[in-house]
Amino acid sequence: MTEKMTHIERVLASLGDQPVDRLTVYPIACGVSRRTIGDGTMLYKDWCSDPKNYAQGLISGQKYFDLDLTVGLMDLSVIAGDFGSHVRMDEQNTPFVDDPVIKGPEDYEKLQAPDINKGRSGVILEGTKIFADALKNETITSGFLEGPLLALTQSASAEKVFMDMYNNRSAVHKALGTFTEYLRDMVKGMGQSKPAACMWDYLWASYSCLGDNEYDEFEGQYKYAGGLNELVGKEGMALAIHNCADLPHLDTQIKAMKPAAYTMAYYPLIPGSPSASEVIGKGYADNCVVCGNIDPQGYVRWSQEKMQKTTMNLCQEVKTALCARGLKSKYCIASGCEVPPSVTTRLENIKTMVDTVKQYGQVTC
Amino acid sequence: MKIAQVAGFLGSGKTTFLIELAKILVDRGHRIAIIVNDVGEINVDAKFIEMYGLKAKEISGGCICCQVAGNFANTIAILYNTFKPDIVIVEPSGVAIPWGLKRAAEYSEEEMDDVIVHAPVITLVDSLRIEELMQSVRRLVETQIREADVVFINKVDSATKEKIDLSVQFSKAINPNAEIMFGSGRNNQGVKEAATLIETRTSPRYDESYEKEMLKRDYGGGA
Repeated sequence: MTEKMTHIERVLASLGDQPVDRLTVYPIACGVSRRTIGDGTMLYKDWCSDPKNYAQGLISGQKYFDLDLTVGLMDLSVIAGDFGSHVRMDEQNTPFVDDPVIKGPEDYEKLQAPDINKGRSGVILEGTKIFADALKNETITSGFLEGPLLALTQSASAEKVFMDMYNNRSAVHKALGTFTEYLRDMVKGMGQSKPAACMWDYLWASYSCLGDNEYDEFEGQYKYAGGLNELVGKEGMALAIHNCADLPHLDTQIKAMKPAAYTMAYYPLIPGSPSASEVIGKGYADNCVVCGNIDPQGYVRWSQEKMQKTTMNLCQEVKTALCARGLKSKYCIASGCEVPPSVTTRLENIKTMVDTVKQYGQVTC
Repeated sequence: MKIAQVAGFLGSGKTTFLIELAKILVDRGHRIAIIVNDVGEINVDAKFIEMYGLKAKEISGGCICCQVAGNFANTIAILYNTFKPDIVIVEPSGVAIPWGLKRAAEYSEEEMDDVIVHAPVITLVDSLRIEELMQSVRRLVETQIREADVVFINKVDSATKEKIDLSVQFSKAINPNAEIMFGSGRNNQGVKEAATLIETRTSPRYDESYEKEMLKRDYGGGA
């Protein structure tokens, strides 16, 4: 199918709410893209520990699925692992921390930031440079970093951190300060890699976990995250935020942090979880391209017919809401979170989603 | 195969409770497996597992919508295919959302020849620390109570009447439909009743609830 706009033209138009030939589309297909290389047998552990493999997967995935965007999301144990947590690295499962570096309250203050160029943080920085360079004339690219609170919960355990926010508040702040300093260096490193944007994973901004005051204190726009967000701009990158929480802090993360793009999920069984039409209707897409919200498990479990129907329904919901709001293009049809990188994910479902948006994503108000 | 979730925040007495629960269910002739969803440690003592002929598995990592769901489903399928438990007791992390684990459990049906049935979701509330929990991790505790079929007010053998009453008030304000039980895992108080409840009752499946909600959204009236 020949399209009227290039990927870059479409994304830039969407960022400015200009007319587009169709809505932008981005299944967050990162780890799973390794399966589009060669005979499709690259192991996850080989993909996530070698910058060339990591970049090659993302480059190959962009071409295979014909994606409008490319984001360098790796698993969420990268920073915790580099800070000394033990990461269980199976051949194909998503790696995860099985022995956190923070075991007791005294450990928060002992954290030592490693060299950003070592470990898997180094893989991300070097790999981002490779894919950002290779795709600079094809798509809008974005690096991906874990936010400080996420890096901390991965390095301790979320339950312990949440209790210690109350019982050992200053120690938690000390640790968050250490992670934030490390992340400042990572942002500068990311700036050298020259992706168009830098996307933060700030997933604890969820009303299921933290209220506004707690989030403001332990990550927020006026605390650790605010300085990091500002630095992203200073380093020449657009700010993007990913948060797959059930009840995201949209006022903080969209209205206060002002990202260019925000990717989010939708949980129909959680009262108050915002659907695409609600997010658009309440003005969150007025100044930010909101991306969402197809259930990531659909890429593993659904038939192609169900994926097509779900994508069509979402396109229709989004188009209706955009027109009602007087917007032209400020929504990207995306997965609510990363497409599972497992070997059972159906690549044809990713293609079906993209093809369905090409066919049904035209906005005519 | 029945999935029995025992939720609750760190320190609520989940591990002690589920060990006592497993003993009772084994004594009643059930074949029991345990899955813990935590970072870094399996809290269930290995000797206990051996003594009672149980099977324990750990599941961890990632977020439930994209990564943990697949791992959890696979773990359940492996347990079924290798151990054939009739009840799997799941101890989720205090930041897990029970419906997410229900959904993931149902996905395991693709890898086994049995149907998943859910026992009522039991959320333990630590009555001894209720004031602290309401201050510190209130939203997480509220989320788990909101998702519960049964709220088990735990440690009532050590807590004052005021704290027990406060635990009940707090729970009912969040989830007036939940059944309230009282007990103490440590002294085996109320655990037999909880075991009977797991044996005899069920909780709605995720897929049915999801379809109903989507129909309601699309057509306004519900299923």
